[in-house]
Amino acid sequence: MLTQDELIRYDRQIMLSEIGEEGQEKLKKAQVFIAGAGGIGSSVALYLAAAGVGIIRIIDCDIVELSNLNRQTLHWHSDIGKAKTASAKKKLSKLNPDIKIEGINKEITETNVSGLVSDSDLIIDALDNLPTRFLLNKTAVEKNIPFFHGAIYGFEGRVMTVIPGKTACLRCIYHGVMPGEKFPVIGVAPAFVGVIQATEVIKYITGIGEMLTNKLLVYDGLNMKFTLFKLRKNPECEHCGQKRRED
Amino acid sequence: MSVKVHIHRTFRHITNNLAIVEVKGETVGECLKDLIRQFPGLKIKLFKRNDKLHNHIEIYINNESAFPYELSKQVKDGDEITPILMISGG
Repeated sequence: MLTQDELIRYDRQIMLSEIGEEGQEKLKKAQVFIAGAGGIGSSVALYLAAAGVGIIRIIDCDIVELSNLNRQTLHWHSDIGKAKTASAKKKLSKLNPDIKIEGINKEITETNVSGLVSDSDLIIDALDNLPTRFLLNKTAVEKNIPFFHGAIYGFEGRVMTVIPGKTACLRCIYHGVMPGEKFPVIGVAPAFVGVIQATEVIKYITGIGEMLTNKLLVYDGLNMKFTLFKLRKNPECEHCGQKRRED
Repeated sequence: MSVKVHIHRTFRHITNNLAIVEVKGETVGECLKDLIRQFPGLKIKLFKRNDKLHNHIEIYINNESAFPYELSKQVKDGDEITPILMISGG
């Protein structure tokens, strides 16, 4: 049941016939896991908090540095030296005190990943490296939790949504691992990717619209060009393939 | 027969800033060979020493995944090949 304050706060989105009070209640009951409180994480977390997602668990093991501030908009100059999760929790709680924010200052590892995501309705990939993305993708597939991928480089962004057992997963489309490196980025690229992911998450929770499944959206901010690449599930995928599930 | 290859921004310093290069060939492999003939610097960007594609390069034909056996996939006049480089920033 929505409170009077919530009816006012979310009035403009409750007005949408696709959402209504029923959709808003679904958002209120939802629990999401955001992996990464950096550039993408800042954007996706802000818009999910504003939309009224009931519980947001955000995890990151880094502290805020001066060089983060061109893109990681949840963190401000006065946060330098603080844990990103503490900084994120503070801002998100100020934006929307009616929702629960859990900040977890930890690295995601093979041993803790299952417990970290276990009670989440969905996982949002806002990470900055492929090995941990693959670990989360694998865990999402194994635990049948929808997975929302986003990545950036420079002015470019990529987004895809994975519904385990039904659609192509991250490992179906990326077959190797890039060596880790410091990547160039303009802040609007992760902001844009996070907003697209948040849109996907809101649609998934409320059961509306068409999802970005079996598709990879590539956004080229420099030429303002959007390309949709068609994907297929790989039957021999290491994470979601038939062979693996039969093992 | 002409096929277009889209060049990822990070490789355009090798193609004189060309975003699209026209190539000839009947398979993806032949087209990429012609691309490398025109811009030899792309060889190490796309291929390992054993002439297999790098694991972090994915090939799309007309915006559809060409995996697996990408290099042997047939292409026809007007097709577009996009080698996609994995990105991982956040």
